[in-house]
Amino acid sequence: MAPDAPSRGAEVEVRAITKRFGAVVAVRSVSFVIRGGEFFSLLGPSGCGKTTTLRVIGGFEHADEGEVAIGGTPMGRTPPNRRPTNMVFQRLALFPHYTVFENVAFGLRMKRLPEEEIRQRVGEALELVQMPGLAGRKISELSGGQQQRVALARALVNRPRVLLLDEPLSSLDLKLRLQMQEELKRLQRELGTTFVSVTHDPGEALAMSDRVGVMDSGILHQVGAPMEIYERPRNRFVANFIGDANLIDGVVQGTDGDTVAVRAGGVVVRARRAGWEQIGQTLTVCVRPERIQIGAAADLPNAFRGRVEDWAFSGSMVKYRLAAGPVRLHAAVPYLNGAPLFQVGEEVAAGWDPMQAVLVPTEAAAPGAGGGP
Amino acid sequence: MRIQGTLLWGLLAPALGLMALFYVVPLGVYFLNSFHLFRDGRIIPVWTLATYVEFFTDPFSYRIIGRSLQLAVIVTSLTILVAYPVAYALHTRVARPGVRAALALLLFSPLMVSVVVRTYGWLILLANQGLVNTLLRAARVIETPLTLLFNMPGVVISLTHIFLPFAIFPMYSVMGKLDLTLKEAARDLGAGWWDTFTHITLPLTMPGVVAAALICFTLSLSAFVTPQLLGGGRVQVLPLAVYNSTVEINWPAGAVAGLVLLVLSILAVRALNAVIRRLPGV
Ligand SMILES: Nc1ncnc2c1ncn2[C@@H]1O[C@H](COP(=O)(O)OP(=O)(O)O)[C@@H](O)[C@H]1O
Ligand SMILES: [Mg+2]
Repeated sequence: MAPDAPSRGAEVEVRAITKRFGAVVAVRSVSFVIRGGEFFSLLGPSGCGKTTTLRVIGGFEHADEGEVAIGGTPMGRTPPNRRPTNMVFQRLALFPHYTVFENVAFGLRMKRLPEEEIRQRVGEALELVQMPGLAGRKISELSGGQQQRVALARALVNRPRVLLLDEPLSSLDLKLRLQMQEELKRLQRELGTTFVSVTHDPGEALAMSDRVGVMDSGILHQVGAPMEIYERPRNRFVANFIGDANLIDGVVQGTDGDTVAVRAGGVVVRARRAGWEQIGQTLTVCVRPERIQIGAAADLPNAFRGRVEDWAFSGSMVKYRLAAGPVRLHAAVPYLNGAPLFQVGEEVAAGWDPMQAVLVPTEAAAPGAGGGP
Repeated sequence: MRIQGTLLWGLLAPALGLMALFYVVPLGVYFLNSFHLFRDGRIIPVWTLATYVEFFTDPFSYRIIGRSLQLAVIVTSLTILVAYPVAYALHTRVARPGVRAALALLLFSPLMVSVVVRTYGWLILLANQGLVNTLLRAARVIETPLTLLFNMPGVVISLTHIFLPFAIFPMYSVMGKLDLTLKEAARDLGAGWWDTFTHITLPLTMPGVVAAALICFTLSLSAFVTPQLLGGGRVQVLPLAVYNSTVEINWPAGAVAGLVLLVLSILAVRALNAVIRRLPGV
């Protein structure tokens, strides 16, 4: 993960785009800015409008409202073949009647480059994706991972300003997917090309991206660095979609310095102040399972007693389900050899550092959702 | 679902029976007749290759074969040239299934008219004072009327017209299987409309074109009514030779010409099938 990507200013500007298909609003007034040389991901569940947003950037769809600028130039209705972008399609869309070489050479042939240069650049591109020696193969003779690499080479050989990737790894099995995540990241760093990737897999988005935009139902909820959106989700949707979250509904009782006290059932829990909370307001406290401490939590300013309802072992972690009055909590504790294991029914002290918990509005959509970096 | 042996044969029996009765038996009779002799208005049932020898030593036979092939090649090429854009438009421009169905019906409508009626329709349209010549003269494209009847052009126009639906539908169905993201990928890689068409759409829809060519070629080769009525005796093709021999009760000569026609069709089918096998799958 490299949060310090070289910044070249705004490379892609998406300004309040809306796209409808008949009665369906696929994208609702979405705005964001992608910096030059950045690895940016659009993350959200299936059908949330990620592909449509990407296709608007690539020129395959035209927004009903709003516009896209690339490298400072408004794109208007410029067709895909005249945009400085290249796309890796979700189902790859390799040309079945061409060899690997001819697939990769296609873009260069369209530019009518001399044969010599085409040969050299295709060779380099295939080397870049670690596929030398397979240039003469037919597409149908390649494995899924190899096809993925050809699709990447076919796009990258054109040296686009911006590479668009639509769920680039979704067709691969888990092991290959993890390997390709690393490789995409390496390629992006080596080339310095701006990558815009679309995925429904939070793990993939967090692992690969410099920044992530979280979408749902055509709305862009939040844009930020992976750690930022994980630590400070702006609303329930983002909190839930990225990793596990304990979401505790309660009423604000009062503030104390940087923290807020929220009464949830019989329990008072504390969280970091957000700034918009008011006393008496109903809101939700979000705390990640691994931030909850059990047993030795008694000295935390935010401790209460809970009962172990269940636990499960997952190798590196032990996951407990706790009940504290009406509040149910999931806690994940690193498993260390010989560490005490709490038993079902046992009373334990539980709590967390208030600065590790954040406030989100109780309703699903955040006020003023729409995002912006 | 798996169909068991006896049941399968039971289901196929009616079709096989019909084929045997109306195809295999007449073909056999034909085949036998080709080894007989026709002399002085009578068929002489001796076993000889004389009729074959007569056919293949007569230069007129080669003119007929040449004419048949020429007609089939011209009609097939023209039909495909006209049909491909229609199929392409149907595929790319018509989105609503209802409209598609209506257009498909319209395209097939010529087939609902009897071949004789349709041919007389062409007689009226293509005559010297017919609609086509009148319009062309009104538009000052020509001064003297074109001779479009009782010659090759008339037959070609009429056959092309009737074969259009047979050519459009195989091509249209192959186009339907074309992955549209391939076209988008080509556009993405810098191809304009023409490059996308020539590098992606056309090669990947060639199986449809070849299938259409196969249908048109064999249909043209065996066309009879149109060359008979619109050819005015100037378009001498194999089916006409078969017919003329048969009405003169010269069955042996008719049989030889008919078998030559059959062999030409089989060769054409095999050649085009070999082409299809070499084409990339969609
Ligand atoms: N060409 C289209 N015609 C009609 N509806 C579409 C079209 N493309 C996308 N949609 C709809 O727009 C919404 C967003 O789709 P999409 O951008 O593909 O989502 P995602 O990529 O996030 O899964 C979905 O409801 C989808 O059904
Ligand atoms: Mg999608």
